[in-house]
Amino acid sequence: MSGFFRASAFIAATLIMIYGMVATSGHASSAWLILLLISAALVTVAVWPRLPKTVPSVQRTITRGTVLFMVGFLVLGVQLARIQVVDSAKISDRTAADSGDLVVQDPRHRLQASEIQRGSILTIDGKVVAQTVKNPDGSYLRAYPDPATGYLAGYYSPLLYGSSNLEAAYDSELMGVSGGNPITQWLDGILHRDRRGYDLTLSVNQELQDQANQLLGNQRGAAIVMNAKTGAIVAMASTPNFDPNKLYVNDGPQVNAETNTAKEYWQQLTSQADSPLLLRPTQGLYIPGSIFKTVTASAALQSGVAQPDTVYRDEGALTVGSRVIPEQNRPDNNRVDYTLADAYGWSLNVVFAQIGLQIGPQRLQEFAQKFGFGSEIPFELPVAISELDSDPSFLNTESSLAVTAFGQGQIQATPLQMALIADAVANGGTMMEPYLVQKISDEKGTTLSTKSPTSWQQAIDEKTASQMQQIMINSVQKGYASGAQIPGYVVGGKTGTAEVGGDKQPNSWFIGFAGKTDPEYVVAVLVENGGEGTKVALPIAHQLLETAVQLNDSK
Amino acid sequence: MSSILRRFRFTEFQLLVAPSLMTVVGLLTIFLARTGSSRWTWSDIWVSLGYVALIFLMTLWFSATGFKGDQVLFPIVATIAGVGLLEIERLNPVLKAQNEGLGNVAQRQVIYLAVGLFLLWAMMVFVKRLDWLRRYKYSWGFFGLAMMAATVVFGTDINGARLWIDLKVATVQPSELVKVLLVVFLAAYLDDYGDLIAGSYRVWRFNLPPIPYLLPMVFMWLAALAIVVLQNDLGTALLFFGIFLVMIYVATARLWYVVAGLSSFAVGVYIAYQMFDRIAIRVQNWINPWADPLNKGFQQIQAEYTMAAGHIFGTGLGYGHPQYIPAVETDYIFAALAEELGLLGTIAILALYVLLVARGSLIALRADRGFPQLMAVGLTTILALQTLIILAGTLRLIPLTGITLPFISAGGSSLLTNFIIVGLLLRISDGSVKT
Repeated sequence: MSGFFRASAFIAATLIMIYGMVATSGHASSAWLILLLISAALVTVAVWPRLPKTVPSVQRTITRGTVLFMVGFLVLGVQLARIQVVDSAKISDRTAADSGDLVVQDPRHRLQASEIQRGSILTIDGKVVAQTVKNPDGSYLRAYPDPATGYLAGYYSPLLYGSSNLEAAYDSELMGVSGGNPITQWLDGILHRDRRGYDLTLSVNQELQDQANQLLGNQRGAAIVMNAKTGAIVAMASTPNFDPNKLYVNDGPQVNAETNTAKEYWQQLTSQADSPLLLRPTQGLYIPGSIFKTVTASAALQSGVAQPDTVYRDEGALTVGSRVIPEQNRPDNNRVDYTLADAYGWSLNVVFAQIGLQIGPQRLQEFAQKFGFGSEIPFELPVAISELDSDPSFLNTESSLAVTAFGQGQIQATPLQMALIADAVANGGTMMEPYLVQKISDEKGTTLSTKSPTSWQQAIDEKTASQMQQIMINSVQKGYASGAQIPGYVVGGKTGTAEVGGDKQPNSWFIGFAGKTDPEYVVAVLVENGGEGTKVALPIAHQLLETAVQLNDSK
Repeated sequence: MSSILRRFRFTEFQLLVAPSLMTVVGLLTIFLARTGSSRWTWSDIWVSLGYVALIFLMTLWFSATGFKGDQVLFPIVATIAGVGLLEIERLNPVLKAQNEGLGNVAQRQVIYLAVGLFLLWAMMVFVKRLDWLRRYKYSWGFFGLAMMAATVVFGTDINGARLWIDLKVATVQPSELVKVLLVVFLAAYLDDYGDLIAGSYRVWRFNLPPIPYLLPMVFMWLAALAIVVLQNDLGTALLFFGIFLVMIYVATARLWYVVAGLSSFAVGVYIAYQMFDRIAIRVQNWINPWADPLNKGFQQIQAEYTMAAGHIFGTGLGYGHPQYIPAVETDYIFAALAEELGLLGTIAILALYVLLVARGSLIALRADRGFPQLMAVGLTTILALQTLIILAGTLRLIPLTGITLPFISAGGSSLLTNFIIVGLLLRISDGSVKT
């Protein structure tokens, strides 16, 4: 019985320690210290020596005292295991920053940064995005030769600002500490062999990326071109952006000069009102305007509320509750009957207000969620979460529901989110997981891992997707998106002119797809306060799609 | 011839082979890691060779004189001290600031080790009769008190704690020797009055000692608190009070004395914490060093980075970066070891201390009843508690304290005292010496 009691005390102590290691916040949190104390007490109970009465008192007390010391050593051992192994990464990653500057960080990170030659980042066509070159004095310099791709790689400033974008997301691969063969890495570590980080090959095409940056020019905006079937990002542009060369600060003889340049440049970047450090395609949140009609139309079609040829009336204005929705988009002011497909092509707000009211708030919510609103898009870089409404009761009034249905109201979406909506239509209803890094390879060129396309979410069924595809193609053939036509190719799309309030110019949007016989690439373009979608975003998207399909054909 | 063979301490001799190889190979590793080449000469590792020669001379001398005491204790101590020697050698290049005075830190450590071994030898030679220690118990006690008082009055503050007296030639830490004097005094006192202290009258369910014998306990409690307040060192106070409680418990078998003593001490420390800022800083650092990561919390944070960097296998001797921890060679030498030897190494070092304490306890169990037994208990307790308190501080189980890690931390006073303790333990383990 006593044996059973001791064994259970010991097992309980072990379980409490394991639970504590997993569940408590840190190795010195009071919860952990208390659990440790409890398990120490239990262990003491389990191993408490029982000595016969014949043993002299002093012998007994010495034995007991020694047992207590041993329990103390056991507790030290457990704590060591927690600090050195279980919490090791957590402890070494903890930093303190003061107005953006890292003031306390594990100095081993910066030593590693100056000792290991960081891997390169290349585009799929072999152009250098980021590379580390060795200075004659043995220190390293991280260089980003192309301003059109450098900011996408992100900055790398181990001594001052940490890192961002791909430099941050793939830090351990670029340093060669993970992503390869763990046994080789371990051997390299304990044998202190010279290590070189691994190289990343992006799915980005240099030519297309350059073009996207040029087309956006000095406007504030974002452009994404993505392979419709795989989710591979072929171009991802954000303007204005920054020069990561100027933020590089690493140990070496140039450290002081680098620090001065970086601080000055950082100051300039963070004081600029147009946020050059923000990667707009994934982190910018914008009201989508008419391109959101894609979601509303899909919801109507799949839920059986309407067919592509269902006819709606548009008499130039619609009163919903106390609100009058004016119509400025009719191609012919004398025509009042439009099918759903025509209304999409001519972007008729009055028709979509009616469709929205037919669908109702629940179904609109439901389809927005299916398209990814409210969830974090799985991506290598940090993404902002798109929202249908910021105030949960907003859609309950009819006028709000009506304006949301044509893309105004409280909707906030990232360009990446809108690109994925186009992808759902182009790819049989399924949105692919977008990705930038195609493969990771070592210095000898041996491929360590390749990205295999993964689908993310089924937004709509295949039938709805093919109906929507036809509607979007129709919109390019005889609608406001007709400027997007590419002779000899299938092109679908939707323009958006999103009112932003006040007397500011509207945000200019375009989403669409193109391919030889079926959609191969999807595109999303946004220009902040750019004006009409047809005039600003569409031409950019058109050229990007044209380059993309032609590049694909020439392969 | 056969008598020599019979006296030869084979066990001890064999057990010294492993630590000898460790110190020689370890120092070679450190040297090669530092130079980055594969060339070396014997003179590069003279320190370890000298150390090996010293420990073998010691065991041969034990054999030659026919010493019959414990054969395991000395090899354990030699191993731990060997680890300490290696780590000080390893840290030597990063401790440029401390490399003033007599030689550098590493050279001084070798000298201290040699003097320590000499003291161990001296204990064996001169303390032939333990009775001599016992007879002058009040003198020892008074001498200890005087030394503590001198530290408070003439002492210099290092890292906020007042534990050192600067003698210009060297800085000595009287509390190190005082803890041995405390053990000698307590062993003698408890041997004489232990039965009385165990309780002669009962109040409800508790046996209480007569009032005159209660006074020493109260005095000891006050003295420990005084160390906390006047010297600002919780570790030393905890150590002294802990030694006292363990010895009381062993002598009287009254567990509730320990419980009462510890809880009243905790209350006292809590009140002191409320009253004195200096103590509050250490406690604050224990709770959350990130509250002031650039100043007060800096040392603790760097130590944690260092320990976490070790992982399971460690970076390898000579390949870590212990230089970021201020005062690494004393307070946080264990963190430096943790980085370079990994969890496997730190557990091995803990195991060595476990063996040391277990062996000390075994010597105590086998010792003659009375004064020698109580002294063995006290001396073992010093080593055990000191290791537990400093390591618990390093690992943030309790606030960090300024006491040293036995045989490993740099610091002459501590190393010399530890060898005195081992010398006395070995003396006691030799059952042929009667009091």
